[in-house]
Amino acid sequence: MEQARNYVCTECASPVPSGHKFCGACGAGVPHEAQTLETKFFGALQMPGKARLIIVRGDEAMGEGLSYLLQATEHIAGREADQIPFPSDTWLSPRHANFLYRGEKLVVRDEGSLNGVYIRIRGAAPIKVGDHFLCGQQLFRVDATPRDTSGPEADQTYFYSSPKRPSAFRVTQVLEGGMDGIVCCAHEHAVHIGREECDINFPDDVYLSPRHARVEMSGESLELIDESSQNGTYVRIRGERELSHGDYLFLGRNLLRVEVTA
Amino acid sequence: MIVCSRCSKDNQDHYKFCLGCGAELPRASGKPRSSSTDTPPGGSSGSGRSTNAPRARAARGEALASAPQMDLEPTPMQASRPEPVQVAQSDSLPPELAPMEDQTSPCPHCGAGVPENFRFCHVCGHDLHDEGGAQAAAHAPAERTSAPAVAEAPKRASMRARLILIQPDGSEGEMFPLAEGPTLIGRSSGGIFANDAYLSPEHAEFRFEDDQLVVKDMESLNGIYIRIEPDVPIELFDGSIFRVGQEILRFDGPTAPEPAADGTQHMGSPHRGYLGRISLLVGRETTGNSYPIPPQGIHLGRERGDVVFPEDGYVSGLHCRVHSEVGHVFLTDIGSSNGTFVRVSNESFVPQGTFVLMGQQLFRAEY
Repeated sequence: MEQARNYVCTECASPVPSGHKFCGACGAGVPHEAQTLETKFFGALQMPGKARLIIVRGDEAMGEGLSYLLQATEHIAGREADQIPFPSDTWLSPRHANFLYRGEKLVVRDEGSLNGVYIRIRGAAPIKVGDHFLCGQQLFRVDATPRDTSGPEADQTYFYSSPKRPSAFRVTQVLEGGMDGIVCCAHEHAVHIGREECDINFPDDVYLSPRHARVEMSGESLELIDESSQNGTYVRIRGERELSHGDYLFLGRNLLRVEVTA
Repeated sequence: MIVCSRCSKDNQDHYKFCLGCGAELPRASGKPRSSSTDTPPGGSSGSGRSTNAPRARAARGEALASAPQMDLEPTPMQASRPEPVQVAQSDSLPPELAPMEDQTSPCPHCGAGVPENFRFCHVCGHDLHDEGGAQAAAHAPAERTSAPAVAEAPKRASMRARLILIQPDGSEGEMFPLAEGPTLIGRSSGGIFANDAYLSPEHAEFRFEDDQLVVKDMESLNGIYIRIEPDVPIELFDGSIFRVGQEILRFDGPTAPEPAADGTQHMGSPHRGYLGRISLLVGRETTGNSYPIPPQGIHLGRERGDVVFPEDGYVSGLHCRVHSEVGHVFLTDIGSSNGTFVRVSNESFVPQGTFVLMGQQLFRAEY
């Protein structure tokens, strides 16, 4: 005894091979549902190509673990956004970022926000003068070495400058509120950042690794290198950036993880 | 580089004590600290300096090497760094100040040997042109602008106070008299100031106000610095400049941009109630490394403290601190060897015995 392997005609009980619209024995129509049968997902979260955002760390009002499924084509995140709202994070602009699909790809676009969108770098990433990056709780900016203004006067008076050594670039800490904090001029082409034994140290930042990251001049260009830190190093995106599964983003105080089902 | 004979650590040429073990280092480098300060007062050195520079330097090097090492405290700070001075002597000095030849003639006033092309004696500032030196006048360029009259002023006036030059080894050198009325000091006032390339032509003016000596900064390029007393807090204001060892530091009060119009605040590192920050001054408006000052204050030193200057041998191990009292920010010297100096903002009283730093030279005011 075995089960019929195909659709069975409800008029004459003959087997109808899949793909046939009518019963070969009696001519009765095969119902539409039986013709277009396809496997469904248990839930929309499983739908291929659709991404979701998981709040890994949120401010007080945002529960950790909350997730947003990105089912539409565009999804605005911001302090006053409807789709992905962060109402209590004052570091977010009212309309901060847009998660949108370009074809199959998910991208995040900075909507001209004040504080920007930061993405965790994987290993190393190129960085330019003027770029911002995050390590632990600390925000930094890469600056050019300013033009030397210590030359002599027209009347041959020499300017007394503090001793200085050549430096290719500098890293400036940016404090909340926008004031500059520590400035560290690169010595021997690199600035190391961490909790201890670095050029810039934050002994009380518990989110930093002892040696966390460095900015390094290699040839003519600068590189931001994460030194296998526990919590990662994040660089501010310019314009828009393609996202892939496992990316981490900082929007203000909120850390988000991107999950994309293959 | 000087290698310490006790612990073998490499030390920079200008260090007096080993950074590794504190032992006194031999002063092997024959480099002059500055053109003026290593010249003992008196006419004899004048002839030495008026010969061409390399020979003079070699002679001085020998003298230093053979001299017994003095067992002093770390010596009072000298502002000088040798490099710019050498440049100034060889290339960049105006032609009337650069020795052109070996021939010298004695100054009628002090007897020092003065190169033939000098219009003023480089030791005492005497105007040689006044003596009817037609030859000197012929050598001197016509476009010379600085007024020679100032050089003579202190001699004519009755002496009310004096600036005593403190030499690199801590001993007292030449003395510069100050009159009751205003005395202008600068490169154009000649004498011990003429060869200091870090002095503006008109740098400082000293005068008496009642019984107090007052110094006024004549909008000089490098300013006037006054040594602060140990353990006496001096208030810092936005833009205050002070000097520790060879380092010029500026204090800036806390400033921050306005939040955005839509209420978004500027993101950044945690702000721990910083009082402002101190920055290393490396140009007229250019700063190098900077550090914010937390409410509990910061200590500065060569090897101890929150901000350290391991390469500056003129900074004491623990030198000074910047701290806050009742909402104001203060600088306090905490027993440094060479002192902490504050730049005079426009004018300042100069109490008796105060150390004054102008250009490359350190003076003590006595009255």
